[in-house]
Amino acid sequence: MNTVKVRKVHDYLWEIPRENGMHVPGRIYADERSMQHLMAESRSKEWDALLQVRNVACLPGIQRASLAMADIHPGYGFPIGGVGAFDVETGVVTIAGVGFDINCGVRTMTVDIPLAEIKRNRERLADAIFRTVPAGLGSTGSLKLSRKEIDKVLTSGARYVLERGYGLAADLDFVEENGCVPGADPSCVSEHAKERQFKQVGTLGSGNHYLEVQYVDTIFDQHAARVFGLMENSVVVSIHTGSRALGHQIGTDYQKVLRRASEKYRIPILEAELVGAPITSPEGKQYIAAVKAGINCAFANRQVIGELVRRAFKETFGIDDTMIRTLYEVGHNNLKFERHTVDGKDRELLVHRKGATRAFGPGRPEVPEPYRSVGHPVLVGGTMGTSSFILVGTERGMEETFGSAVHGAGRLKSRKQAMREYRGERIIGDLGSAGIVVRVHSTRGAAEEAPGAYKDVEQVVSIMEGAGVSRRVVRLKPIVCVKG
Amino acid sequence: MRERGHDTIDHTADMGIRGWGAGIPEAFEEAARAMFELAAELDGLAADREVSVSCEGTDAEELLVEFLNTLLTRADLEDLVFVRVSIDRLGKDGGSWRLGARVMGAPRERAAGRLLTEVKAATYYGASVRMSGEGLWEARCVVDL
Repeated sequence: MNTVKVRKVHDYLWEIPRENGMHVPGRIYADERSMQHLMAESRSKEWDALLQVRNVACLPGIQRASLAMADIHPGYGFPIGGVGAFDVETGVVTIAGVGFDINCGVRTMTVDIPLAEIKRNRERLADAIFRTVPAGLGSTGSLKLSRKEIDKVLTSGARYVLERGYGLAADLDFVEENGCVPGADPSCVSEHAKERQFKQVGTLGSGNHYLEVQYVDTIFDQHAARVFGLMENSVVVSIHTGSRALGHQIGTDYQKVLRRASEKYRIPILEAELVGAPITSPEGKQYIAAVKAGINCAFANRQVIGELVRRAFKETFGIDDTMIRTLYEVGHNNLKFERHTVDGKDRELLVHRKGATRAFGPGRPEVPEPYRSVGHPVLVGGTMGTSSFILVGTERGMEETFGSAVHGAGRLKSRKQAMREYRGERIIGDLGSAGIVVRVHSTRGAAEEAPGAYKDVEQVVSIMEGAGVSRRVVRLKPIVCVKG
Repeated sequence: MRERGHDTIDHTADMGIRGWGAGIPEAFEEAARAMFELAAELDGLAADREVSVSCEGTDAEELLVEFLNTLLTRADLEDLVFVRVSIDRLGKDGGSWRLGARVMGAPRERAAGRLLTEVKAATYYGASVRMSGEGLWEARCVVDL
């Protein structure tokens, strides 16, 4: 039976007041309807996202609040949509705040081809992408790397694959951290992890990973859209994938290390996956150096796929590389050292975002210069066949959520329930009738990812806007969807 | 409840798996099968490749999660789709729990049309190894998809 107490702060924000064992309160961005759903789920099921928000608030060194964005749903340890920022001296790093798909994220690229031409050729384009971008379980990439080269991917990220001829130098100006975080240490990554990865760089994966060709169907913020170079009917491609097997193996390897560390450093284990180590401890430092390697691997992966997308468009439309420009790339399963103002003081924090997107508002030095007056694009994947959004962060978001926003619609129904209710072939047929070409490697996967299995993405982004944490810039509608 | 078997348990984002049987080894074998079934359609797939695995943990739950993760790693490293597993030994040895098993599978290329979802990892979330009401052992945990 759930014992988590929740009180309403305003129409879009709820608080779990600080009580026994909690260092800070829990804060959940939700409207009345989604909070009712969370509370019902919390009462009736084994998986309880509200309890997870509360548990995270009990970790040492946590600052301001244990946060959950509007796409909150139960995860393991952290809720999905969870954000936790920790003091770098007294805080902990926890595997639950990163997960097994390190730096899973989205790259969106603009395509300088008229929408009508894309629509006329969508079947051919879908086939070209499906052929060019490896996807699905066990697929292997076009870039085969030696063990030594894998280490270069881990330390140099997207920069290394750029040197190998994948993508354009200008891409990296619009990737978080310019596609490479410093401090990654390949010696903290197991041989198994590297061995699993050497053939998977440049693969999309399966499950909720996808590649979509989309167009701008509504503009909410004309000024920000102009700054991003987006107009009504502008065509974009969005790539959603992460660090693949390397990230999974790093998670698996450190799960055990951090369980031991939690006992050693007497960090309360409130849930089996919610384990970690002090940021300053040897175990903590090693894990962070390994996660950074995973982050770089995901940057490299999306850079390679970006190039493969260009090739597919070139094959279909005979266009030049420079007609496809990287708008932005941002992760949503991450650890980041960031500076934030807490209690009036400028502090360095380690921010965990598990299924939450960094959403830095105007003026932050991390935002690429051309976007700095409005904040960077926040890429929010919707569901297959519905819509996706590009948002921007706000000053208020910097103050309340450490500059974080949602990452997607958030699951509503389990995969099992989705498989009971939907048939993959039917979903693909229905989307086809609506003008959306779908190519999948597994039709069961299409049923699991059915639009009805997710929360309404419109509602999710509206909650964040209502709370003043992020603002909608444009809505995107899909034309082609390729899934693993 | 049948003598031995397996199923999956609803979890909003990921998937719970559960195996049961007369002893812990049977429960582990069934839990592994539940995980293999998430990755591929296994019915009628000839399993003619064999791999040996061994692992250890401080308690039965850790052994379960380690075991499942070892299987995921090996399948990926050797480009196999695992079909079933047979545990040869499982028990407490000094301070730790250990097991040794043989896993049967097929090359991935032969299973190409059968592949489903990639299982990223087995987690400790909801992990338990216990005797159920019917006197059977049950092993369960959540896997990240």
